[in-house]
Amino acid sequence: MLRYDSSGKPFIIIRDQDQKERLTGSEARKANILAAMTVANLMKTSIGPLGMDKILVDQDGEVTATNDGATILKNMQVENPIAKLLVELSQGQDDEIGDGTTSVVVFAGALLEESLSLLEKGIHPSKISEGYEKACDIAVQHLISICDKIEFDKEDCSSLIKAAKTSLGSKIVNQYTDKIAKISVEAVLAVADLERKDVRFDLIKLEGKTGGTLGQTELIDGIIIPKNFSHPQMPKQIKNAKIAILTCPFEPPKPKTGHKLDIDSVKKYKELLEIEQNYFKKMTDLVKKSGATVVLCQWGFDDEANHLLLQKELPAVRWVSGTDIELIAIATGARIVPRFSELTPKKLGKAGMVTEKSLGTTDEKMIVIEKCSNTKTVTILVKGGNKMVVEEGKRSIHDALCVTRNLIKDNRIVYGGGAVEISCSVALNKASKEIKGIEQYSIRAFSQALLSVPIALASNSGLNSLEAVSEIQLKQMKEEKPFFGIDCLSKGTSNMKEQNVFDTLRGKIQQFLLATQMAKMILKIDDIIRPTGQY
Amino acid sequence: MSHFTPTIVLLKEGTDSSQGKGHLLSNIDACVEIVNTLKTTLGPRGMDKLITNDRGKSTVTNDGATVMRLLDVVHPAVQTLVDIAMSQDSEVGDGTTSVVVFAGEILEQSRSFIKENVHPQTLIKAFRKACFKCRERIKEIAVKSNVEDEKQWNSMLKKCASTAMNSKLIAGHKDAFSDMVVQAVRSLDPEFPEVDLIGIKKVGGGAMEESFLVNGVAFKKTFSYAGFEQQPKKFTTPKIALLNIELELKNEKENAEIRIKDPKEYQKIVEAEWELIYEKLEKIVESGANIVLSRLPIGDLATQYFADRDIFCAGRVEESDMKRLSVITGKQIQSTTNGFTSEMVGECELMEEKQIGSERYNIFTGFEKQGSSTIILRGGAEQFLAESERSLHDAIMVVHRAMLNSNVVAGGGAIEMELSRYLHEYAKTIYGKEQMLISAFAKALEIIPRQISQNAGFDSVDIMNKLRKGHFEKPKENIWMGVDIENEGVCNTMKSFVWEPSLMKLNMISAATDAACLVLSVDETVKSPSLQDNNKISMEGRK
Repeated sequence: MLRYDSSGKPFIIIRDQDQKERLTGSEARKANILAAMTVANLMKTSIGPLGMDKILVDQDGEVTATNDGATILKNMQVENPIAKLLVELSQGQDDEIGDGTTSVVVFAGALLEESLSLLEKGIHPSKISEGYEKACDIAVQHLISICDKIEFDKEDCSSLIKAAKTSLGSKIVNQYTDKIAKISVEAVLAVADLERKDVRFDLIKLEGKTGGTLGQTELIDGIIIPKNFSHPQMPKQIKNAKIAILTCPFEPPKPKTGHKLDIDSVKKYKELLEIEQNYFKKMTDLVKKSGATVVLCQWGFDDEANHLLLQKELPAVRWVSGTDIELIAIATGARIVPRFSELTPKKLGKAGMVTEKSLGTTDEKMIVIEKCSNTKTVTILVKGGNKMVVEEGKRSIHDALCVTRNLIKDNRIVYGGGAVEISCSVALNKASKEIKGIEQYSIRAFSQALLSVPIALASNSGLNSLEAVSEIQLKQMKEEKPFFGIDCLSKGTSNMKEQNVFDTLRGKIQQFLLATQMAKMILKIDDIIRPTGQY
Repeated sequence: MSHFTPTIVLLKEGTDSSQGKGHLLSNIDACVEIVNTLKTTLGPRGMDKLITNDRGKSTVTNDGATVMRLLDVVHPAVQTLVDIAMSQDSEVGDGTTSVVVFAGEILEQSRSFIKENVHPQTLIKAFRKACFKCRERIKEIAVKSNVEDEKQWNSMLKKCASTAMNSKLIAGHKDAFSDMVVQAVRSLDPEFPEVDLIGIKKVGGGAMEESFLVNGVAFKKTFSYAGFEQQPKKFTTPKIALLNIELELKNEKENAEIRIKDPKEYQKIVEAEWELIYEKLEKIVESGANIVLSRLPIGDLATQYFADRDIFCAGRVEESDMKRLSVITGKQIQSTTNGFTSEMVGECELMEEKQIGSERYNIFTGFEKQGSSTIILRGGAEQFLAESERSLHDAIMVVHRAMLNSNVVAGGGAIEMELSRYLHEYAKTIYGKEQMLISAFAKALEIIPRQISQNAGFDSVDIMNKLRKGHFEKPKENIWMGVDIENEGVCNTMKSFVWEPSLMKLNMISAATDAACLVLSVDETVKSPSLQDNNKISMEGRK
């Protein structure tokens, strides 16, 4: 962007002026909207139970196959600033709700696409934003008015399982939805505090293992650590274990300050050796004396210590990671001990069973700690044919866990399969007729944009998308019921209540609010200044 | 030989120098150029800018000072405009766009006079006079709010805050936010309010509506070691120890080396090191504190030690958060455990760790004194949050200013129109060139309402006509007539609650005049060649 003054002399106002370009006004808006639409179109094919997966290869050659919106966008490494905004949008939805990360992007893209024609009509972008905001308000009110409540308690969690199944429907695990949905719900209920409506996710551990099928995924009432006992001759199973958790290495302690030990005689050397050996003995004695039957150590120990531990019949695990140590401590009620001298019987944790198990035919082993005194820690062991499947399985289960958690927090639901979007769209169309002024147009545009999700859903399911959506629209209007949606799996009914397809109310509201917020932000930009040649 | 005139080389090769009228006009052009970039952000319908720097970091903003800074201006004359935007930002916090736009317009108006060979100093003198008159007029007509009446006072502050937020992304939620901002500012010590003590924390995800104000201090969970999860996460009436001590088993003296002669001594050294840290930990526990916060890291040993005693700890807490806690509890941050007693421990009613979005936050509330508060800001994307933070900062600054000086004027171009009318009338009473120049200044003031209506997509000529007519015909009744954004027309903006602290306008007018005068008084720029260019020349010379 070279500028000239009135006498024709060029001047430089900003640094590297010749390397920067500038888009303004409608040109800038169009560029932004197009960027957003490109991202949204890319995501469209991943919506719904028949949505497709995407393979992403990062710069290290690591392959990820997924249809989780947030994961796709995160791994795409987009550079365009507007596309980046959409990535953060789906990330925001992921952080808050954990589900619906694809729809939120598709919806935001549709809102912007609709605004394009409004801009061409000459409506001021901030007017459009105001209209969208109003429309979003109406849509959220409508959502609250049509939502249903589901009931569940610790014994009867069938309704929660159904909700988890909807979330898993579009994922790679959909062959085994029944089993995995059940596992997810059980895991959440195990750690949930139903009274406070709080779920602590860090107490659920997701562990992946290649080998076997996704159907063999299991829920373990306890913790798995991918380690083995330090000596092959140690017992493989310990019942009623008392666990000592140590964060000090099994070796003579060293001062942290730099030091030098002068050994100038044989006598001194022998002395040192004796001290060291005594130390090992003292350590194992202290452990034994405390009554511990299993030792978990954050650090390593050498053969000498290992041998002594075997002699004293103390099965031990070395190099246990910090996070595992913490989880085990919480689960077994143990205290983490930093020095051998502080080890007392009170500080030991209790577990019903500690087993070393091997998996399949490989010599990979793992240690399972079950029946802990404080059962509030569970592990889901995800198995699958290859690493990609296991990783995608973990992500899917994470989504299902989030849905369950959200329902525990707020048990209001709305019907899926595009039913709510269509219902809101109908409601908005009705409402728009009573609103004066230009806002009417933007409200109608909002209602049109809402249909983008059911349309994508229908076309991914191989239906004639427009026909299917308009049919449902008609049906909803005629019968005035909000639970008709797209019958993606050809189950013969479009009644989502019967199909048990539903989303959480919180998640939907969040989607609407976030997408509207994003559309407003992008519409408000009318000037782009960026280095030339990029994007 | 007598005709021979030697060339005198005064300046370094490559130095760029230009002077005279042409140069002055060129400077004005450059300033107007940058003002044109900025001016679309003015007013409630102002647009945002998306600026990407060469490292690919992009910012979306509507804040004049931020735009000016990100543009990375190198032109020396335009630099003055950047400076006034910055000074307005640090002085008042809001009105950064207006000040630049106004300065640019003064220059634009003076261009024709320069072309007609009016001496720049004459212009400067007249502008200074006009500026002085404007300031007097603002002080004269500003409406004083009743500080005694609590309710009225509060609502005035809220109105100022929401006017500052009008043009921003968060305008849709300005009611909730202005409430938060006013509460936050009022929580400060009324005698020495320090805006730094209001924390703004951004948490991605969630909707704007979920933002909230914590009447106390909140900060994100810090990095923690194993054992942290075993610590209790909720305390009622906890005792808080604020430290600046590293609680880790480490070498106390760096670069020191211990020489051990006797192997038996070895163990003693190890013990001594352990004792050092245990002594510190014991002292802290003895003081009765059950929450330990430190600016420096708290290691795994200490974490587990505290977990064992049901004490909560957090290391590497940010300095600003520590300062807030220190102010609100009225206790000093201790940098040694020697002589650490229960008197040095702060108190509050409730401390809780809460999940906000995907982050965990430690929230301290219920302090005896006031003095600090934290706004937790929610929103979809990082850039969105960053812009919201800037907008909130503006609003906080405005409220802060309004509290110190409770006079307000009406925004929406009303005050500018009134000043313009006043100057026009004043100009008629004087003789000479100044008459024209003061009228030009008066005309420059009109840029604010004109730009506001232009940005809103209104017919600005029509609106300006209405405003001028209103102000000139009935100066008393229509004193606060400004642009009506809602209904595309004019209205009494004082009545529609578009209020701005008069201090902001005072600063805007004097800063803009100063900048314009500075640009006008320059008749030569000597620019030394940059180091790179210099090298290039000398390289070429060697060839």
